[in-house]
Amino acid sequence: MEGEADRSDASADASALRKKHLAMLERLSNRHQSRPDKPDPPPASSSSSSFESTSSFLSLFGESRRSIESRLAQCRLADPSLLKLHFDEISASIADLEKLVAESSYYLPSYEVRSSLKTISDLKQALDTLSSELIPKKKFSFKNKPARKEPTAPSLKGADAENCDSMPAAKGGSLAVAVPDSPGFRNRANEVLAKDVRGLEVGEFTLSDLESCEVRLIGCARALFVHRLRNCRVYAGPVTGSVLIEEAENCVFLLASHQIRIHNAKASDFYLRVRSRPIIEDCSGVRFAPYRLHYRGIERDLEDAGLGEEAGNWSKVDDFKWLRAAQSPNWSVLPEDERIETVDISDLSA
Amino acid sequence: MGLLSIIRKIKRKEKEMRILMVGLDNSGKTTIVLKINGEDTSVISPTLGFNIKTITYQKYTLNIWDVGGQKTIRSYWRNYFEQTDGLIWVVDSSDLRRLDDCKMELDNLLKEERLSGASLLIFANKQDIKGALTPAEIAKVLNLEAMDKTRHWKIVGCSAYTGEGLLEGFDWLVQDIASRIYMLE
Ligand SMILES: Nc1nc2c(ncn2[C@@H]2O[C@H](COP(=O)(O)OP(=O)(O)OP(=O)(O)O)[C@@H](O)[C@H]2O)c(=O)[nH]1
Ligand SMILES: [Mg+2]
Repeated sequence: MEGEADRSDASADASALRKKHLAMLERLSNRHQSRPDKPDPPPASSSSSSFESTSSFLSLFGESRRSIESRLAQCRLADPSLLKLHFDEISASIADLEKLVAESSYYLPSYEVRSSLKTISDLKQALDTLSSELIPKKKFSFKNKPARKEPTAPSLKGADAENCDSMPAAKGGSLAVAVPDSPGFRNRANEVLAKDVRGLEVGEFTLSDLESCEVRLIGCARALFVHRLRNCRVYAGPVTGSVLIEEAENCVFLLASHQIRIHNAKASDFYLRVRSRPIIEDCSGVRFAPYRLHYRGIERDLEDAGLGEEAGNWSKVDDFKWLRAAQSPNWSVLPEDERIETVDISDLSA
Repeated sequence: MGLLSIIRKIKRKEKEMRILMVGLDNSGKTTIVLKINGEDTSVISPTLGFNIKTITYQKYTLNIWDVGGQKTIRSYWRNYFEQTDGLIWVVDSSDLRRLDDCKMELDNLLKEERLSGASLLIFANKQDIKGALTPAEIAKVLNLEAMDKTRHWKIVGCSAYTGEGLLEGFDWLVQDIASRIYMLE
């Protein structure tokens, strides 16, 4: 394809060359962006790393780990007067290792990050145990440690008022603040619960303690909290911040959001469009598929929420409870022939 | 104290501060760090481990440790306590249901000897969300008044989305740490 530019007449040579060069740079940068890397590396301070570095990270990590372990083992034989120095050095090496993980964490597969963290934690533990075993506790106490006394009863006058931002006095007199009536559906069973929030500018929206309900939510919210749902179907328009789901069983969710966090869910299906990687923690039998919701104007709402495009993140689930490279047994991709058809909630109450 | 005291000395010379940022998952820690550093905040995944950001703030170098708050990794927080000059506790002011959890985790953290000298900044984040509790309300729920009198602390309302309140919070924290550590020389 570049041959054409080469054959162009001499007068246009210079500009054609420049164009060609620009095109090449663009192609290069496109290719760079479409690497099969984690889709959303936080623009970390160190931008040098890339996908291929995983293996070099692993060998570097393994090497330092072995060195630290053998130095730990040697401590038992060391001259007691040098022990403190040894421990300080080992401690510094662990800190370096930790830094290495931190700097690499944005391109490493998630299970590598978590298992590296586990290793570091174990090394620190080993160091602590060893140092309290080999170095006798000193008798004196440090001056700069404030005496730890039981907190006295809170004085009623705002003695520490200067610590607070200049804010109006809290509503309600009791300690626990009166919870404002935030929008949402709570404590319902066997109902269709529908709400059109367009134009209402809702902040957070809450669904809690629902049993065998169908929820239809048209329009955008900033945050969605879901708590204790059983046998429910939840059809929701885009959420510009995050969705937090805790305790769901036998449910179906259609959700679009910047972030989706799922805790303690069982036997539930999630049809998602999400800008970052969905995460699960303490879940089992959860399945994932792409978002399948329709109502009149949803394209516009998705666009406005920055969710106009399907980035394919719905299947890039991170399981915080799974440390290994193998696929987590707690979640799977919903087979296509078991997926539901697009759900249309244009007619809210139908 | 051998090496450690040498490290301390170097740290002082370079006017470095080590800041640990923790709080429940979803509270907005990573968003705050990126925002204060002027980076894009449009795509952020929940933090699997931690991130370190080194930023220059006024005449100081801040090493900010942003550690993930998902339940599974909260047990790793204690790995980061050592040598912390400033502690930032981030609260999602719109997550009313988990304020109990939030209080419990903060109380645990404050019992930690290794953090006893650290200045504490509490960010009541997500103030842009309608229905979010005000900083004064959060202070009440967390019972901050009952804190050990020796602790330097402040609560500031903020929004990592709009950026509001972030500078006010960091200004206070950096000043407070500086007055403890550097003015003594
Ligand atoms: N409306 C609003 N949303 C926010 C604000 N700050 C953060 N968010 C959203 O809250 C969600 C969580 O933000 P993160 O920065 O990932 O939270 P985190 O505390 O780092 O979470 P972990 O890494 O799991 O500990 C994201 O979807 C953010 O877009 C804010 O000030 N206002
Ligand atoms: Mg984070």
